Amino acid sequence: MRLRRPARPAERETVVALIDVTFFLLIFFMLVGRLDATAPFAVKPPLGQTGTDLPAGGITLSLSPQGDLALDGTHITPAALADTVTARLARSPQTLVRINADQGTELRHVLALITRLEDLGATDVALIVTPDAR
Amino acid sequence: MAGLALKRPAARRSLISVVSMIDVMMILLFFFMVTSTYLNLDMVPALQKSDAGAGPASAPGQDATLMIRLAADGRAMVGGQVMAGADLTALLAARIAADPLTPVVLFPSGGAHLQDLIAVMDIVTRAGAVRVKVIRLEAAP
Repeated sequence: MRLRRPARPAERETVVALIDVTFFLLIFFMLVGRLDATAPFAVKPPLGQTGTDLPAGGITLSLSPQGDLALDGTHITPAALADTVTARLARSPQTLVRINADQGTELRHVLALITRLEDLGATDVALIVTPDAR
Repeated sequence: MAGLALKRPAARRSLISVVSMIDVMMILLFFFMVTSTYLNLDMVPALQKSDAGAGPASAPGQDATLMIRLAADGRAMVGGQVMAGADLTALLAARIAADPLTPVVLFPSGGAHLQDLIAVMDIVTRAGAVRVKVIRLEAAP
């Protein structure tokens, strides 16, 4: 005579812990992240040791090593840039303009852009750098 | 007299399924994880309100002003002499020790790279200079 062990009922796994962890990760990524437009071309900001925290908001101007411009992630011509920046500054004169230029960009492009922004009425212009911990 | 009490059976609480909520949260979580690029960025002021309309703190060429030229190859020069990072730091420290408000003027070549300018600005800032100007030449028409 063969005796059969009764089949154990499958234990039900609780999903409460999974929900907690998922929620925690979700909130973490939503809080620490800041959605920002990236440049349509490769930009590697220069390394800087004395930079300060980059505030959110403002206008982000990307500048490629060849001098190409992008405003908030979209290619823009110098003529269109003047119109757009002027309109944005007219709405909010204290708008911070952030220049996200590649570290290999020649200064004739960067300094000319800063001068142009000043002419358009910008009063706060900052260069984006990557913190260098050395 | 005995009464007859009829009791309604307590309504069973309906269970709300959390499976769909977990699905939505998982989708949101993966969306943020996959689409995000985490960059640690700082900023260096290039133009501030106080600069607008203000003239130079001291005219370049005056004895008190320290002018640092930045050549197209990225080398810093003071008084026509090429200065390495350590030498420039020592010179700045000596000048700022003598006068904490020493104006420092950076005169970069248009052919120098942005990284070169930021490196010199780092040296100047770390030396404690508080009056720093970058001369911008007008672009050729």
